[in-house]
Amino acid sequence: MLKVENIKKSFDQKEVVKNVSFSVDKGEAFGLLGPNGAGKSTLISMICGLVKYDQGDIWIDGLSVKKRPLEIKKKIGIVPQEIALYPTISARENLLFWGKMYGLTRAETKRKAEEVLSFVGLSERAKDKIETFSGGMKRRINIGAALMHEPELLIMDEPTVGIDPQSRNHILETVKDLNKSGVTIIYTSHYMAEVEYLCDRIGIIDQGEVMALGTQRDLCNRLANGTVIEMKLTNLNEEFLQYIKQIHGVERVMIKPDTHAIDICINETENPLPEIITLAVNANIQIETMERKEPNLESLFLQLTGRSLRD
Amino acid sequence: MQSLHIAWNDVKIRIADRSALIMLLLLPLVLTAILGTALKPIMSNEDSFADTTIGLYTADSDSLARIFEEDVLRKLDFIKIESTNKEENLGKMLKEGKIDVGLSIPTVWSENVKEGKLKEVRLFSNSDKELKAAVIESILTSFVSRVQSVSHTTNVVMADLSTSQAVAAGPGEVTELASTITVELTNQGNEVTPITDRTIGKETVSSMQYYAAAMAAMFLLYNITTGAKSFIKERDLETLARLKISPTSDWSIILGKFLGTLGFACIQFLIFIMGTSLFCKVHWGDNVGQLLAMGGAYAVAVSGLSMLLAGLIKEMRTADLISGIGIQILAFAGGSMLPLSQFPDFLKRLSDVVPNKWALTGFLEIMAGVNWGEILPAIIGLFLVGIAAMLIGTLRLRTR
Repeated sequence: MLKVENIKKSFDQKEVVKNVSFSVDKGEAFGLLGPNGAGKSTLISMICGLVKYDQGDIWIDGLSVKKRPLEIKKKIGIVPQEIALYPTISARENLLFWGKMYGLTRAETKRKAEEVLSFVGLSERAKDKIETFSGGMKRRINIGAALMHEPELLIMDEPTVGIDPQSRNHILETVKDLNKSGVTIIYTSHYMAEVEYLCDRIGIIDQGEVMALGTQRDLCNRLANGTVIEMKLTNLNEEFLQYIKQIHGVERVMIKPDTHAIDICINETENPLPEIITLAVNANIQIETMERKEPNLESLFLQLTGRSLRD
Repeated sequence: MQSLHIAWNDVKIRIADRSALIMLLLLPLVLTAILGTALKPIMSNEDSFADTTIGLYTADSDSLARIFEEDVLRKLDFIKIESTNKEENLGKMLKEGKIDVGLSIPTVWSENVKEGKLKEVRLFSNSDKELKAAVIESILTSFVSRVQSVSHTTNVVMADLSTSQAVAAGPGEVTELASTITVELTNQGNEVTPITDRTIGKETVSSMQYYAAAMAAMFLLYNITTGAKSFIKERDLETLARLKISPTSDWSIILGKFLGTLGFACIQFLIFIMGTSLFCKVHWGDNVGQLLAMGGAYAVAVSGLSMLLAGLIKEMRTADLISGIGIQILAFAGGSMLPLSQFPDFLKRLSDVVPNKWALTGFLEIMAGVNWGEILPAIIGLFLVGIAAMLIGTLRLRTR
């Protein structure tokens, strides 16, 4: 369905997307996971033809985005990160407008608008202006607007930012249902749980580069030799952290903001844990708790980048 | 087709914005009513110099006073004379509204005419009849000036002749010559300086009509900034990005935004015409076709300028600033605040370059009942300004 091939993009001589390649199959749910500023939105803007890429090419259903932009735009639906709706007109009017923008006939637009309103659970608020909606409801209409023309590929750019858990669950279920109905999904987020829940395959992106790509199991298997240990400490200081980093078998150390906890990424075959504990005792640092974390995307991301997804 | 959907959506959004609706539809109607009524005494028909009644007091039967009354004042069609035998009556008649201007000609007015001097004539007027008073004063000044010129010229010529060889021909011929010169010059002196008013069309335009046209020209100008702001708002809301992601070309989006502004400007114009006709009894002329053509061309001009502005600015604050100050300056320069006739010459020349002046003049000419030939240059000019501005704006927006 989608093939991204050696894409590069620079803004003001700063490379923000670096030679990215991946592909997404028809009917697949693909997640792009990365912290804010990783280059996810730029990548998506290039896929939907909003931003021109400097190098490489993007293919959707065998058509080049560069060469056949209008045909491609009919095949894809975009749910932007922002609420891209007209706040002073009603939900129904918004949907009707976006339907017409995709060339739907009047009858088709009306039918589809009712269908979409029902799908996102907002039929009863159809006549209300968008500006009167809660954040979650706005997000649902934002998704609905992208569904009006029944796209084959739905690209969702952080569609759950800033909403309550209830609305988030509703959106996630909606996306799941869409995928089940055969729509190919590209879902970007910096919420690991969402991507884990929705996506078959995941690409981890940071600083414009795809760091890892594969199914959840593939990615977690990468941590087979690596473990993340979370330690809560008292009298934590910078000197101690520098010593830990020098211990053989310690791959990365990350301080958790606003806590006295650190995540230490270690290579289990080297078993550096006794040395870490001895060092803490000698430095008069008390270890309050120590926990081995299950391998997940968060710990993989930490291992790959030394940073948290929420950085 | 997509352009039309964008345009219609734009119009709906603007109609949904009640504060903007009040600003652009109701305010011009209210302002027209207020300004038209408040400035009626200054600008109304009553103060046009058609049908001016002069109260005339002549202290005696001086020959020059008689010439002024019989050969000057009574020969002007628009002047009626109410004679009185007491000077103090003039003030009373003025207060009672029986006369517009009072003139008091002193005893033996022509007494010092041989010295090229005339006694002063007193002129009585009301502040609300300034225009009529000014006209009568100019007639009087013109007459006095010519009488003094004739007298002075005759004196000089006769002094010259008395020393020249022609005198040798005999005193009879000199007297005859002096008489001929005097008669000829006097005849010229009696020709009152023509008061020219550029009369356009068949009808006179009232203050209410002037301000209706002025408010139409001014409030349609606001579409320049509202159109540009609508573009900036689309960008801020990310709906512009969403439009660009849809299978709609950039040209269609820009054309749609242009048509949206044009549509709203046309609606605003039509509502204003109907509102002022119904509630303020403004007569917009007899030719509806001319009015629609002028209004349409002006709407094209402001819509095109809105696209140009959208191409030039990026911030909503800049648009607000232009809306607050720039439009007021344009409106002032275009004669929407003060009548164009009150402008000094340099401002009149400056106002020739602002399109709202062309529109205002066009509306006034239509009200006065001109033919198509006289308003066609303004219609074509406004249309071309709109199209040119839209094209430049489009290029700017596409390359941004």
